[in-house]
Amino acid sequence: MDGMNKHIWTRREVARLGGAGIVAATSGFGQRKRITARQVVERIRENIGVPWHYRTADTFKWGDPDAPITGITCTFMSTYSLLQRSAAAGNSFVISHEPTFWSADDVATDLRDDALFEQKMNFIDQHRMVVFRFHDHWHARRPDGIFTGFTRKMEWEKYATKDPMKFEIPEITLDALVKTMQAKLRVRSARVVGDPGLRVTSVRHGGHYIAQTMAAAQDADVVVAGEVREWESMEYFRDAVALGQKKGLIVLPHEGAEEAGMEECARWLRGFVSEVPVQFIASGDPFWIG
Amino acid sequence: MSAQLTAIQLLDRIMKNVGVPWQSQRADGFGDGIHSGSPDTSVTGIATTFIPTIDVLKRAIASGKNTIICRETPFYSRGERAPLFFRNGPEPPKELMDKDPVIRAKRELIEANRLVIIKLFDNWDARKTDGQLHGLAKALGWDRYHLKPKNGADIYRPGNEYFSLPKTTLGQLAKDTRRKLQAKGIRVIGDPQSSVAKAALTHGFLLVNDLRRVMKVPGVDVVVAGEPVEWEASEYFEDLLTAKMAKGLILLGNEVSEEPGSGEVAVWLRTFLSDIPVEWIPAGEPAWTV
Repeated sequence: MDGMNKHIWTRREVARLGGAGIVAATSGFGQRKRITARQVVERIRENIGVPWHYRTADTFKWGDPDAPITGITCTFMSTYSLLQRSAAAGNSFVISHEPTFWSADDVATDLRDDALFEQKMNFIDQHRMVVFRFHDHWHARRPDGIFTGFTRKMEWEKYATKDPMKFEIPEITLDALVKTMQAKLRVRSARVVGDPGLRVTSVRHGGHYIAQTMAAAQDADVVVAGEVREWESMEYFRDAVALGQKKGLIVLPHEGAEEAGMEECARWLRGFVSEVPVQFIASGDPFWIG
Repeated sequence: MSAQLTAIQLLDRIMKNVGVPWQSQRADGFGDGIHSGSPDTSVTGIATTFIPTIDVLKRAIASGKNTIICRETPFYSRGERAPLFFRNGPEPPKELMDKDPVIRAKRELIEANRLVIIKLFDNWDARKTDGQLHGLAKALGWDRYHLKPKNGADIYRPGNEYFSLPKTTLGQLAKDTRRKLQAKGIRVIGDPQSSVAKAALTHGFLLVNDLRRVMKVPGVDVVVAGEPVEWEASEYFEDLLTAKMAKGLILLGNEVSEEPGSGEVAVWLRTFLSDIPVEWIPAGEPAWTV
């Protein structure tokens, strides 16, 4: 890719500036100890508690991993807006659960001549930022880091069952449960299948895909999922309800279901990264309901 | 005699009239053709729909129609073994499907009523006119705003899906769209106050490359689409907003964006099936919002 060649040149340039102490000096936080993004990721690998996979999405996506960083932002998704807010907060290292360049492996799309790609990449370069994706291993951790954050945000620790994905909660209607979730998870765009008056006492995470939500449906009144394909899980639950089953499906925006897990990630990182501040910044629910 | 027409003969008529070389297979997933039921079944009537839900099947049976022509298939999957980039799930394993109470009940309903389900997706979309796009434009009342290519015919096709609307705000456009399509809730990205006029209209699953393609056309400030992948197209659009390169994305949902096209299928079938009742039975939106 043309953009890649240009990027490598820029990265070298940034590395040279970093080596000369210019990057650290421009950060405005003179007292901070020197640490690089790569060193932070090495500590993540030491602390994650599961073997690091050779084939993984959890790699550096842009920027120079060997330049000193000024602070860390943990977030659900490294959107352009999030990068701007991270830079404004003085954090040059962004740890993002989801992709930066709009596909699962960040390179599935041919982005040559894409003006937005140029702009986003240039922003990262100009602000001497570096972006790392932290997805597979944060999910692989036991318990799953993303769901740990969800449980804490919902204050559902007391409703945990032997199945780490399932909760037994005091009886509530489906409608009231959705409203509670929207408030606690700062979501405005939940979509629901099922009778609003359904009485709910058990809730289970359903992943994203039909085989997962189908399996979860056998085991709880309500399945919660952060983004599903509409022709898969929404249609399954619609049919289940049409057959008289007392079931519901709450589809949260992907972000709303998983963002708390990256707040959890910031909390976890602070346990072994003290050189620079570690902050959670929400990328936010992208949707409103019209 | 209409009673003599069998499902396989109906499919043959469809193939002869579709006007493009018929493709019956895909590299992965279900191809167009008879999905469920016996090819020798006499066709008593045809229902066209986006997806054959339990409710759609019951309505078809009640009105004496045993043949369903649909875009999405009955068992919550496009039949793919290896979907690309985690955008959707693979077909659930046979053991899971065989014991699932919803799937079992639906199979029984199909078998007991000797229904025939015909998938019509790829070949319908390959026609000279994109019936899905045309149907949606008409349902929105946008056909009079369609931008024709210079000296060109007024053909609805990808590459020619732009509309010059009377100037409005994104918030108002979302409201109008919701009312016209009788939708319960649509998702929107963008500032409701921003002024919009030139729209790109797409339907179904919105892939990031389709979004990038329509945004390359100068002056497009709003895109109306079906269902995005939230770490692909909707993130890309969030970033376009941040870069001030676009103003709004209105997400109708997959069913709402595709259902008018099922009405177009019914209209088209009647042009060569004058002696068989053909009815469009809309599946309706699967979810509600709070």
